[in-house]
Amino acid sequence: MTTVDPQSLDNTYDDASHRTPLVLGGLDYEGVTDTACGFWEADSAPKIWWILLGLAISLLMLLGGLIQHLLFAGVGVWGNNNPAYWGWPIVNFVFWVGIGHAGTLISAILFLFRQNWRTSINRAAEAMTIFAVVCAGTFPGIHIGRVWVFYWLFPIPTEHLAMWPNFRSPLLWDVFAVSTYATVSLLFWYMGMVPDIATFRDRSKSKIGKVVYGLLSLGWTGSARNWHRYEIAYTLLAALATPLVLSVHTIVSFDFAVSQVPGWHTTIFPPYFVAGAIFSGFAMVVTLLVPARELFGLQKLITLRHLENMNKIIMATGLMVGTAYGIEFFIAWYSGVPWEAFAFWNRAFGNYWWAYWIMVSCNVMIPQLFWFKWCRTTPWFMVIVCIFVNIGMWFERFVITITSLCRDFVPSSWAYFTPTWVDLGMLIGSFGLFFTLFLLFCRFMPVIAMAEVKGIMPRDHH
Amino acid sequence: MAEKSNNESKEQELVGLLAQFDDPETLVHACNEAREAGYTKMDAYSPFPVHGIDPAIGIKRSILPFIVLAIGLGAVVLGLGLQCYANGQDTFWPFPGYKFLISGKPIFSIPANIPVTFEIIVLSSAFATFFGMWILNKLPRFSNPLHRVSRFKRVTNDKFFLMLETADEKFSRSASESQLNEWGAVSIDEVNQDLTDTELPKWLATVGILGAILLMLPPAAIFSQWGMTNRHPRLHVVPDMDWQHKSKTQTMAANLSNELDGVRLMYDDLRSARRPVDGAIAFGSLDIDSELNYGIKSDFAYTITSGGNALTRVKDDAESDDTEKDDTEKEGDDAAAAAPAEEDNLEKYVTTLPDEFELTEEVLDRGQQRFEIYCAACHGYAGAGNGLVNQRAMALAATGAATWTSARSLHEADVKDDAKNPVGRIYDTITNGRGNMGPYKAQIPVQDRWAIVAYVKALQETGIKSDIPVVEDENASEEKKDENENKDENED
Repeated sequence: MTTVDPQSLDNTYDDASHRTPLVLGGLDYEGVTDTACGFWEADSAPKIWWILLGLAISLLMLLGGLIQHLLFAGVGVWGNNNPAYWGWPIVNFVFWVGIGHAGTLISAILFLFRQNWRTSINRAAEAMTIFAVVCAGTFPGIHIGRVWVFYWLFPIPTEHLAMWPNFRSPLLWDVFAVSTYATVSLLFWYMGMVPDIATFRDRSKSKIGKVVYGLLSLGWTGSARNWHRYEIAYTLLAALATPLVLSVHTIVSFDFAVSQVPGWHTTIFPPYFVAGAIFSGFAMVVTLLVPARELFGLQKLITLRHLENMNKIIMATGLMVGTAYGIEFFIAWYSGVPWEAFAFWNRAFGNYWWAYWIMVSCNVMIPQLFWFKWCRTTPWFMVIVCIFVNIGMWFERFVITITSLCRDFVPSSWAYFTPTWVDLGMLIGSFGLFFTLFLLFCRFMPVIAMAEVKGIMPRDHH
Repeated sequence: MAEKSNNESKEQELVGLLAQFDDPETLVHACNEAREAGYTKMDAYSPFPVHGIDPAIGIKRSILPFIVLAIGLGAVVLGLGLQCYANGQDTFWPFPGYKFLISGKPIFSIPANIPVTFEIIVLSSAFATFFGMWILNKLPRFSNPLHRVSRFKRVTNDKFFLMLETADEKFSRSASESQLNEWGAVSIDEVNQDLTDTELPKWLATVGILGAILLMLPPAAIFSQWGMTNRHPRLHVVPDMDWQHKSKTQTMAANLSNELDGVRLMYDDLRSARRPVDGAIAFGSLDIDSELNYGIKSDFAYTITSGGNALTRVKDDAESDDTEKDDTEKEGDDAAAAAPAEEDNLEKYVTTLPDEFELTEEVLDRGQQRFEIYCAACHGYAGAGNGLVNQRAMALAATGAATWTSARSLHEADVKDDAKNPVGRIYDTITNGRGNMGPYKAQIPVQDRWAIVAYVKALQETGIKSDIPVVEDENASEEKKDENENKDENED
């Protein structure tokens, strides 16, 4: 009837005699529903939620205002200039797209690996993916200059342009990749939510809620015949999303790898970028979920074991990223190409050395703390480490983009890139967009995949 | 006992019996029993997919994966076809593709086209999965008699249900109920279909027709203009710097009027370019110093400005305007100018090098270099008139193949004479030519011309007539000496 350790909230230790419980506190199915719906069902959200939402909305308005300024004044408001024509907007784009990949990994790849612990976190992680892709898509959308002819990016017959896109260009591959990724993630997220929205429909007390959740749940009844096809579709989408997530960030890395610039033109970029994306994405998931589980009372569903597992993945991908840094240096020396060797020497000891060492310390050194069990099972500490990881990953994209552009083949083209206040404001504002969407999601949509959690609970259990 | 559902006042038809179970094991057991009892039209309802329920009810594996496979394979064709159409050809009407010529890369290459094709495959397959699943599940279905059973709200929470439908041949109201109780049902409900005739509200028809008419108005307005001409320009939402109030060179002045037929040119004289102001002189055209530029004393020259140039005109012998003469007299003047003996006033030429010209050793070397470039071809390297061009021309003239006036030797008496050939006249010869000699003013700048003049005077001064140095040989015989002297004399 109950789990082995009903009162303990620490399931980070493995017991050989039985499977470690993933749902703690002696919760049964109804307990899971009540816990997961608790925040949504509250008559009014706690004050802290309103304060955070207010902060996020003000940052969102900052972003909106700056975008308007950009559209009217032109891309000169950014620091992009000769030779760094790709500045913060592209760095921010790759940063946000990378963060989004963790959600798909949790949803799709961990599903294919039958990792049952993913069920408590996958809904919030997928939501994070959607919102991160929204933030990511903003930057390429506004950086094209004449934003009103954005439709020229797509293969649509237009009279004014009398041309088609260049399908050889990685920038166009990006258009297809990110659009596909946004669409498929949205479909996957929505499909996963339908049974839980049906729960909301059946528990909702307001008329509007009943109508809205009723529409969104499509009349779901939990019929076994429906579940049968639903499960097949879920597996198919997971199998499709897995190569998708690998290919999308590979294509994003092609923006750099397909060029001739020293420091960019290297075949290590696709796996390096994908590992880095998962690394930063999981760090963001941890950063979001630790406060969320406290705020919404989800400690029994998002347990320490879940957090520890995520930290182990952060460790693994962090080591991959660190290895990739080392291999890059090795290849730069081994190749005997002087520009390549200089590009990497310059990263560590040139005029952007400060950015490089921030990156290395945040990405390689700080995550090593997770070797210690206390570090990876203490919620407040892991948030600090994960924030540093995200800072380090932003700097990684910065170092890659800017140092290679500012010191390329011809010394007469060298210059020092400086961002403008608009660059900085848009980065901060994008966090506002992200957190606004996420906070609204937490209040109005199912944060936990209740149906999936119940599905992995041991069956000697009401 | 089975409980009646909520709506007792309306007409109802029994659709099935809904049994509630409290845990999934009992549900699976009941489903197995039902299937073995021969029921086929039944369904189980649960908050999560229950393991083992598919075979218990007898659900066959869905064909959804094959639908997705078919769509995915079709997407391969779609993806490659799109890129072949958009970048691989440019002849299809009415929307030809666009062939990008980039570094000689092949117009259609599969490796370059793989990323987009892959994404299209994933996107199409995802759409097929998503929509295929909902369509096969017959969802969305908002009206379902099950939702009228209040107990059924627990299906998305923690309760499990089994419904036996009346449509099944094994169904019987009482027998089925007792079977369900046997199999462990906690409670049993009737599921009734509401048969009350529900008509659409009457106002819906009027609003619908009105709305449809209103919706037709914009496309009608648009298509009414199809094939019509209009004098007004198209609505141009984003100006995009398309009309700029500027004029391009060598064109008519821009029309600044905003009216349809209005004309308000930027400049009244129709030109886009402005003429120079009277008296304006282009850079490098200021040649009012007649001594430097023409070798003519200032007394004998006047300046006019025309078309941005300051021009020095020479006053003629009679110091009268050119306009008073008629054409024959002008021709006479020209003919006179051609003949050296009956030339115009020699007094107008300067007799000393002008003040603006500074003579240094470097300038003299420059003069020598320039002389050897431009003058030596005819006049010879020592100015003795034995240049190769002159020799050749004389040979041709001797056979009658050409007419040629011999290039003068610069050492001749009347060429050296300062009264008959002052430096200004030498300068004029270089500038405007004389006889067969063409004008060199287009090729030699002013300062260089004076340098050449200075060098010519230097040559004349030295009297060196041969560029081949004469070597005094001690052992040479008297005869050879005589021969050399004779040769010198003959080269005069």
